[in-house]
Amino acid sequence: MTLEKIATRAFPAFAVGFALYYAPAYSFTGANSAFSWPLFTYFPAIDRWNWALVPGNDNIGPPMWWYGWIVSAVIVGLIFAVIAMLLPERATAKMWSVLVWVVPIVAFVFLANWELVWFFPTWKPL
Amino acid sequence: MITALLIIHGVIAVFLIGAITHQTLGTFWPRRPGQVDFVANARGIRPQVYVDTIIILYIVTFFIGAFLYPTYRVYVRPPLQDLQLTYAIGLFEIKENFAAIGLATLPSYWWFWKKTNEYPTTRKALTAIFFGIIWYNFIAGHILNNVRGFT
Repeated sequence: MTLEKIATRAFPAFAVGFALYYAPAYSFTGANSAFSWPLFTYFPAIDRWNWALVPGNDNIGPPMWWYGWIVSAVIVGLIFAVIAMLLPERATAKMWSVLVWVVPIVAFVFLANWELVWFFPTWKPL
Repeated sequence: MITALLIIHGVIAVFLIGAITHQTLGTFWPRRPGQVDFVANARGIRPQVYVDTIIILYIVTFFIGAFLYPTYRVYVRPPLQDLQLTYAIGLFEIKENFAAIGLATLPSYWWFWKKTNEYPTTRKALTAIFFGIIWYNFIAGHILNNVRGFT
């Protein structure tokens, strides 16, 4: 299988899968989330790593979920890439060439809905 | 160590800003024959020449930023919360989200610019996305770095 056959579908599919997971992961992660969006949690104040979502407290300091979201999203992106390789090339290449830039833009808009609360404290995500 | 890395992070970001701006100008507003002024020269480049440079600079900037992030989380963000400067935290949140999704889009960006002549719309769209990400992250980073001067 040539690089072209892989890249035209797998690279865009990876980006699409990553964005489709990352945006809700950021938006729906909270101390009481039912689903562990980040694969792991890092506590920078005490340099400790924990599997899955762990909330912070006064003893262990603030949690960092960003690394965990990225690794989780990479896994989802790779799954998308594998699925894309199983689909017919001719029928899907054009679709991936559009989704690769449309989905990140949609993800940014989706994220903005949740990020606005930092600028407007009374903002309620739609 | 952290301060030195933060300065390196900012300096590499300057190179990245230059590269993506040249590429964006050359892509969306190419120089026409006969134009020789300063701005036309900035536009008169072959956009594909910048792809590898942009990718390398983006990755280096990203990983230095990722290394610096814990320091921000422990020493910078709590005082911002105490001072109720939530807009500054929001600027950083957007920055981290842009950076992550941009990183995942880099392989496609490389492919559509370097390895295929098809899909010109995709090339333009990806360039525009990276232009927005890189400029936003550069400005937001500087505002955060100087945030006490804004209070």
